[in-house]
Amino acid sequence: MAARSSYKEDQPRGELDFQGLVDLHYGLLYRFAMSLTRTESDACDLVQQTFLTWATKGHQLEDPSKVKSWLYTTLHRAFLESRRRFTRFPHLEITEATAELPSVEPDLVTRLDAQEVLQLLGQVDEQFQAAVALFYLEDYSYNEIATILGIPLGTVKSRIARGLAQLKELVLRKTSSRGKAQTGGA
Amino acid sequence: MNSSQAKEILLLYRPGTADAADPQMVEALESARRDPELGRWFEQHRAFQKAMRAKFQDIQVPAHLKSSLLIQGAAPPNLVAPRTWWHPRVLLVAVAAVLLLLGLAAVWLRPSVPDRFANYQARMVSEAQREYTMDLVTNDMRQVRQFVARHDAPANYYVPRGLERLQLTGGGRLTWRSNPVTMVCFDRGDKQMLFLFVMKRSAVKDPPPATPQVSKVSQMLTASWTRGDNTYLLAGPEEPDFVHKYL
Repeated sequence: MAARSSYKEDQPRGELDFQGLVDLHYGLLYRFAMSLTRTESDACDLVQQTFLTWATKGHQLEDPSKVKSWLYTTLHRAFLESRRRFTRFPHLEITEATAELPSVEPDLVTRLDAQEVLQLLGQVDEQFQAAVALFYLEDYSYNEIATILGIPLGTVKSRIARGLAQLKELVLRKTSSRGKAQTGGA
Repeated sequence: MNSSQAKEILLLYRPGTADAADPQMVEALESARRDPELGRWFEQHRAFQKAMRAKFQDIQVPAHLKSSLLIQGAAPPNLVAPRTWWHPRVLLVAVAAVLLLLGLAAVWLRPSVPDRFANYQARMVSEAQREYTMDLVTNDMRQVRQFVARHDAPANYYVPRGLERLQLTGGGRLTWRSNPVTMVCFDRGDKQMLFLFVMKRSAVKDPPPATPQVSKVSQMLTASWTRGDNTYLLAGPEEPDFVHKYL
């Protein structure tokens, strides 16, 4: 995993060139941004802002192997900054995910396209979304996800579990409502 | 480990990752091997995870993004060595910053005079839009009133019937040109917030009339009015029937 996810760790510091970073990470960062915003223009803005931050503050990063998680953290912070104004709610302590999880046939998922999956993710409780997106997009360990999101490990696991449970429920609802619509139309 | 506990752990399992090495996961995987019902659930869950992962990988990246990024980063400043504090230019900037702060302090500390309502309105809207902190997180309006009363902000404010129907999330005390302002926050119900700001009418020289005046300020819809000794400013995301719904 490390070889794939980290910028060439044995590369000298001076060779942390901008184009190399863009080549390696812009696609993954965009997918993460899309998972958070679900709008192409907003996602592009977030990615641009992230690389702009790198261009101005990247020199402060001592450890080149942490470039990727630094970029993810920066993007996530930029997203939170843009959303914070309307979403300051008292956060309740997250309890363990319930074991009452809906059972979802995998072929139901294959009937959805990526955009529909993102829309469903958008209906998941907002505080779970980033953790779920990182869970699916990357092979990051839970510790790494905790570092990126700046939350404790237990909270990461709890958020992913709660988010997945909600996502499964939403997939079920979406596919069953579509099935009903098709039956009704026939 | 019972079946329910195993499910909670297996829910976080991602095939082909280091997850399988986690001791708790090892135990849960063993449970799934022993318990046929749990095993069936797990197989289905794995297939679900695989399908979902594939969907996330399917997100198409716009073709123009990479070139935009490269144009933006044509001169990467990450190769520039950071300046130390004794660098002459840094010292110059520090001196300039101190002078600027002194100048600003002189402006801030001048005696307060009544000012335009529009200035107050713009400032409160920006307060709502940027990061802010509720001093008090509560669903109990009495607690908000007690809190702001203790901090010399208006506590005798009137809450319109439309707002009373919403969930109160908390409040706080702000300041505008040395005048205390009460902020009351409501949850509109769709992850959006409404903010009611209350200040003494004497703090502005042109308080709004008794009939709510609606205007758009920096992407937010506002309604402002005066009642008794207080001016009221309600701010929230744009939506139809703003006044009828909340006032």
